[in-house]
Amino acid sequence: MLEYAEPVTKLIDEFKRLPGIGHKTAQRLAFHILRVPEADVERFVGALREVKERIGFCSICNNLTDVDPCRFCSSAGRDRSMICVVEEPYNLVAVEKTRSYKGLYHVLHGSLSPIRGIGPDDLHLANLLPRLKPENNEGIEVSEVILATNPNTEGEATANYISRLLKPLGVRVTRIAMGMPVGSDLEYVDEVTMDKALANRHEI
Amino acid sequence: MLLEWLEVHNFRNLSGRISWGGGLNIIYGDNGQGKTNWLEAIYVLATTKSFRTQKLQESIRFGEDLAVVRGSVAESAEVHRELSVALQSNTKSITVNGKRESVARYLSQLHIVSFTADDLEIVRGVPEARRKFLDRGVVALHPAYVQTLSDYNRVIKQKNRLLQDASELEMSVEQAAEIIAPWNEQLISLSAEIHSHRTGYVQRLIEALERRLFEREEVTIRYVSSLEGKGDLSDYEALISERLQLRLPAEINAGYSLIGPHRDDLEILFDGRDIRAFGSSGQQRSALIILDLAAISVYYSWHNEYPLFLIDDVDAELDRKRIDYLLEYLEGRTQTFITTSKESLVERFVAGANVYQIQGGAARADEPEKEVIRSAATTSESI
Repeated sequence: MLEYAEPVTKLIDEFKRLPGIGHKTAQRLAFHILRVPEADVERFVGALREVKERIGFCSICNNLTDVDPCRFCSSAGRDRSMICVVEEPYNLVAVEKTRSYKGLYHVLHGSLSPIRGIGPDDLHLANLLPRLKPENNEGIEVSEVILATNPNTEGEATANYISRLLKPLGVRVTRIAMGMPVGSDLEYVDEVTMDKALANRHEI
Repeated sequence: MLLEWLEVHNFRNLSGRISWGGGLNIIYGDNGQGKTNWLEAIYVLATTKSFRTQKLQESIRFGEDLAVVRGSVAESAEVHRELSVALQSNTKSITVNGKRESVARYLSQLHIVSFTADDLEIVRGVPEARRKFLDRGVVALHPAYVQTLSDYNRVIKQKNRLLQDASELEMSVEQAAEIIAPWNEQLISLSAEIHSHRTGYVQRLIEALERRLFEREEVTIRYVSSLEGKGDLSDYEALISERLQLRLPAEINAGYSLIGPHRDDLEILFDGRDIRAFGSSGQQRSALIILDLAAISVYYSWHNEYPLFLIDDVDAELDRKRIDYLLEYLEGRTQTFITTSKESLVERFVAGANVYQIQGGAARADEPEKEVIRSAATTSESI
């Protein structure tokens, strides 16, 4: 026998499909939905539907967007000679928050991981190479591609793979540095990061 | 480094708290009373792992869902830190002074060198046991090496999957080379890091062994790279990248990685002969003790303090003469924990030792009077 009426059970099961949501949380969310006014639920359902209907990938950089090309790719204020490659849209947001990077982006939606069955063809890579040609980039030549994939083995392999693709084309390929977080104290840095920072030290 | 006390809840059959002495601690009792469990609890507190089982959760007392091992470590006379490892069915939480701590930092709080039946694998088992012995030693000096090892294992795992795919899909060598290159690139730098750390550590061990600290027998060791005889090891990165390229077809054929420090070994010679093939079981035990003492000495010269030393079932593993030598040698150096069921052994050392009689998992209340605690951490005498 079901613990709750069928519609409630169905809702709980749906919440449980979401990442990071276990049975108890799903239950709490379902009962919250039962309590709130119908208008709130309509708004929520509308937002869910809208995000699926209106958000897609930018045909140039693969970022999530409601207009194609996305706001970065169509902006006149961006430096079109630079492309920063990131794994996920939220990584793009992290780079963007610096406000010091004014170039364009390229979102891969993943990183190479053979054990998870993710190879180069599963990444959104195919549309990166054509972007380097001036005729596809409003007549501007791309002079540098910054690889800002994550600093773990999968991110490294992905960066390495892309650099092998791009180097023969003569474009400058760079990798973001690894080391100390700024604005914190040396004492709070873990040994591994400190070790990397020491290895990557530079003369001043 | 001094373990002042250890408190245990629901860990195997143990309960209660034991305050330890600074020098020799003898854990004594009949079989099945929990002697080794106390030793294991100390091991868990230091390493968050067990020397007996891969599944630490198995050590939670039957019918309970939480086991806790807590202990206080005196870093110096005035610095005391409380460590704790709490085990639940699928989680392990580790804290220092009540606050969660990262594994790398936790592990640097309390270091131990152990001599258990399991550790004998180092002198008579497969190469993996010897690589682990070296890696434990390196981590004790360079905590960040933990990350290097874990990255290396991850890259090998990813690469093995590609090699399997390549062989199943009957890819050409060129095709395979292209998809494997990004992983080999990391393999080269991680391998070089592991190679240099391990050979550096072995060099330190050799220097300690050359001082002939213990017994008459001579133990010599040598790090044996799997790339030995294949070219110039002093330019390791160049050599391994050449080998990786050359051996790719063979790797595809095998379906797993054939090149790298996960194939290396440590050669251990006892009076000039390979201990694994030619050593008697007594010689193997002697060799392990000598290696352990070298590891303790290397640790001391790096940190200027001694690790803890654990010996399980000392009389089953070592003969009287060796026990006497060993304990005499350790006196004033390490805080030492040994288990035994032999009363005769207890009687011989009772003057200089703290004796804990274990019954039904707990130390008996009428434990013999303890000596004034001598701090092993403050001795300046070098091994």
